[in-house]
Amino acid sequence: MIRAGLAVAIVALGGCATSSLVLLPDDEGHQGAVAVLESGGAQTEAVIAEGNSRTKLGTKSPVAKPLGANGLKKQEAALLTGLPPPAKSFLLYFEQGTTTLTPQSATILAALRGEISARSGPEVEVIGHTDTVGSEADNDRLSMKRAEEVLAWLASQGFDRSMMSAVGRGERQLMQPTMDNVDNPANRRVEVIVR
Amino acid sequence: MLRLPLALGVLALVVASPAAAEIARIKQSSGIALVERNAQRLKAAPGFQLLPGDQLVTGKDGRMSLTFIDNTRFAVGPNSRVSVSEFRYDRTRQKGSFVTKVDRGSLAIVSGRIAKSDRDAMKVRTPNSLLGVRGTKFIVAVPK
Repeated sequence: MIRAGLAVAIVALGGCATSSLVLLPDDEGHQGAVAVLESGGAQTEAVIAEGNSRTKLGTKSPVAKPLGANGLKKQEAALLTGLPPPAKSFLLYFEQGTTTLTPQSATILAALRGEISARSGPEVEVIGHTDTVGSEADNDRLSMKRAEEVLAWLASQGFDRSMMSAVGRGERQLMQPTMDNVDNPANRRVEVIVR
Repeated sequence: MLRLPLALGVLALVVASPAAAEIARIKQSSGIALVERNAQRLKAAPGFQLLPGDQLVTGKDGRMSLTFIDNTRFAVGPNSRVSVSEFRYDRTRQKGSFVTKVDRGSLAIVSGRIAKSDRDAMKVRTPNSLLGVRGTKFIVAVPK
């Protein structure tokens, strides 16, 4: 009985705290939105879509106000500065039916290595693909081999395997959609995502 | 007779391994910055791998930043308690669901692929509100 009363009191207290939302344009300048699905214990239809705005949460109909001349608070600006860098994606292309990089793609490896080295606590996802030449099963194997080839090269450069993962997606995710058995250099690729 | 338990054992392994897969990595941390997992309090050092259910806790001079496997990015401010209550992500289909609870403190979010995958697939809960994230950058603050 005492416990239940205490729990209710805490929830009520929480309801009084003036949580707030600051909405900003993303790094590419695009403006997204945040829907306020519930506020102060009631469902709402409010959608905050104004960039550089501040919204007090917990009221029945939350309204966004412009940040105005004062802009962000100091601790808000510090928070944004502390965000990790965005994920970066690299595309490496392969010779038909092989795990051999095209000469052009081989020159990208140094940039890839540099990107991983520059990051704190990096994670690397390696995704292999093929074009539609050959059977699906063969292409599953080939795409995996391509991804493993890139992973092995990264490991040879001193990157710990625990930060990396490799998958092969065969011919299921074509960069350029084609009919079956079409030789297509753009589809013979490995994508490396560095986070 | 022996085969059945063996098969069950293998099945359990297969099911158990994705649940233990990492969902995010700590990129930077300073001051008091911990990850609470069940009864454990772990240091949030760069490279630390997060699991669903983990709670991010900072002291009054503490900060940490992290990137999730769907490219969502977080920066956690001082005096905060933030829980990743739910995180499911299918890397192949690039779809999932993501619920974060901000009990106190401040959190900056740049949303990633989960928020893009379906309307309100990413949600943020504060003590007095529930937000549906529709592809964006924002800060949630919950003063004590």
